[in-house]
Amino acid sequence: MAEFRAPVESYKGKIVEVTIGKGDKAVKIGGENVFAFNQAFDEGSWPNPPKVAVEIWDMEPEGWVKGILDFYGDAVSDPAQWAKKVAEALNPDLIFLYMLSTDPNEKDTPPERAVEVAKAVYEAAGLPLIVYCTGNETKDPQVLQKVAEALSGENLLLGPAIKEDYEPIAQAAKEHGHCLSSQAPIDINLQKELNVKLTRIVPAEKVVMDPLAPCVGVGFEFGFSIFERQKHAGISFGDEMMQMPLLANFSFEVWKTKEAKGNEKMGLMWEEMTAMGYLLAGANLLVVRHPEAYRKVKELIERYKKS
Amino acid sequence: MVIIGENIHILSKKVSEAINNKDAKVIQELAKEQAAAGVDYIDLNIGPARKNPEIMAWLVETVQEVVDLPLSLDSTNPKAVEEGLKVAKWRALINSASGRTDSKEQMMPLAVKYDCDVVISVLNDQGIPADAEARAESIMDTVTYANELGIENERIWVDPIIMPVSVDQKAVAEALEFMKMLQDLLPGVKSTVGLSNVSNGTPKELRGILNRTYMVMLDLCGTYSAIADAFDEELMALAKGKMPEIVELIRKVMEGEDVDPNSLPPKERDYVKTAKVLLGDTLYSHTWLEL
Repeated sequence: MAEFRAPVESYKGKIVEVTIGKGDKAVKIGGENVFAFNQAFDEGSWPNPPKVAVEIWDMEPEGWVKGILDFYGDAVSDPAQWAKKVAEALNPDLIFLYMLSTDPNEKDTPPERAVEVAKAVYEAAGLPLIVYCTGNETKDPQVLQKVAEALSGENLLLGPAIKEDYEPIAQAAKEHGHCLSSQAPIDINLQKELNVKLTRIVPAEKVVMDPLAPCVGVGFEFGFSIFERQKHAGISFGDEMMQMPLLANFSFEVWKTKEAKGNEKMGLMWEEMTAMGYLLAGANLLVVRHPEAYRKVKELIERYKKS
Repeated sequence: MVIIGENIHILSKKVSEAINNKDAKVIQELAKEQAAAGVDYIDLNIGPARKNPEIMAWLVETVQEVVDLPLSLDSTNPKAVEEGLKVAKWRALINSASGRTDSKEQMMPLAVKYDCDVVISVLNDQGIPADAEARAESIMDTVTYANELGIENERIWVDPIIMPVSVDQKAVAEALEFMKMLQDLLPGVKSTVGLSNVSNGTPKELRGILNRTYMVMLDLCGTYSAIADAFDEELMALAKGKMPEIVELIRKVMEGEDVDPNSLPPKERDYVKTAKVLLGDTLYSHTWLEL
């Protein structure tokens, strides 16, 4: 009798490998030609397990739960100290610096201050850095252009680039050698259009997709579905304009829910479950807030990587 | 392919003003221009016409004064459609009935009373069916009902309801599958589509190529007619068999032959790229022609 061979699926496309940061600490995401955690079935390769960034702000946190504040202590009053603490205590893959204070509806802090904060954070942490603004189409380009220039050549991940403001941000990323995120609001067709436009300025190896990542209980199913569809378009259908790695930036959403705010233990589970969902949907890069969530999510990825 | 000219449409500002002012000249010009462009029917779309259903009679008479073409009486209001049927000179087309209870009760009997043709869409009380099979199920029920009223298949024009490709790419491909199986389901029925809906939401300058390509694809799937833009010259040429090489190219794409768009001249390339999008082989974005 002939030996039984299990059927092996093979796919047309491969996710682009994107490197963020430089030197020893640089992280690689993407590069897979199979779906999340499917490397065990000999279907293809999954060379870069998902990476996890820890969220900090460019201002003192507001409304954060006690456990996180206790963990960081006084460090949260200064972004650089905060970043240093994150690096020492957690040594995450990346730092996610949220430039919330630059938003005109927040404190409208000037781009010059954002530059100081970004430089100080980058130097203090010594880790690959994601610098994210709030999606304000007039302010974001001003901030991100200055940051790109000040940290020229450091290969940060800048974002978000949206359809209204992608041009100056992409030009700055190109000129100063950074990656950028292509953000389209849960819409695969708009995502593709923006990717097409961005890749006329920078190569796909510099682009990460951010389709928005609503958390569990607040539209997670839409997020899961769009992550899955975008990954399918890239891998199953071989659509080159959908082969950039996926960023799941949900921590802000998780900790905005009243359940998470009111009950830290529940919030922690909320964040972990949301993270797990996006990992299964194909996320290549996650952003988490709670130090304990960071540990749990990393542990989960390590465990699945081995099996 | 039988073309029903869509250009007398209440959503057009020019048309709605002309109807409100009973300006016969504007309407007659639009009718004559569509006739000259080669349409087979002229659609008279007045929307729901709740306040003035009798306007359909005026419109029919106005158009009949200048063109010798059958008319498609396009309103969701049975009263308006009946006003038109009363004065129509040639066998008219009711556009449209559906599987909705009110439509079955009020619109469909008009096709019996006036012995005319009727568009029946896949819409039913539950809304628009999701996929080809659900469309089939819905239309079988509705057509059976129409048959029982005495409307034979040959007088029924099935409308699968076309969705915009920018909204629901899958549904666009599903509608093609549905058209392929229609003759097996309901032998002898005719069919029609609101063609321009496929390009709703797409930038204006890109709508034509979507409409034209999809029309050819629908034609290749056995669709009988389309309600379409009579003023798109290339569309009319395609519909009347004057561009067989483009049709052949689209047929190849539909049959899965390996056609490399980039090996072709610009016009052919655009048709091939568009056909791939409409088949669902390429993910839609507004930039599909630039890739």
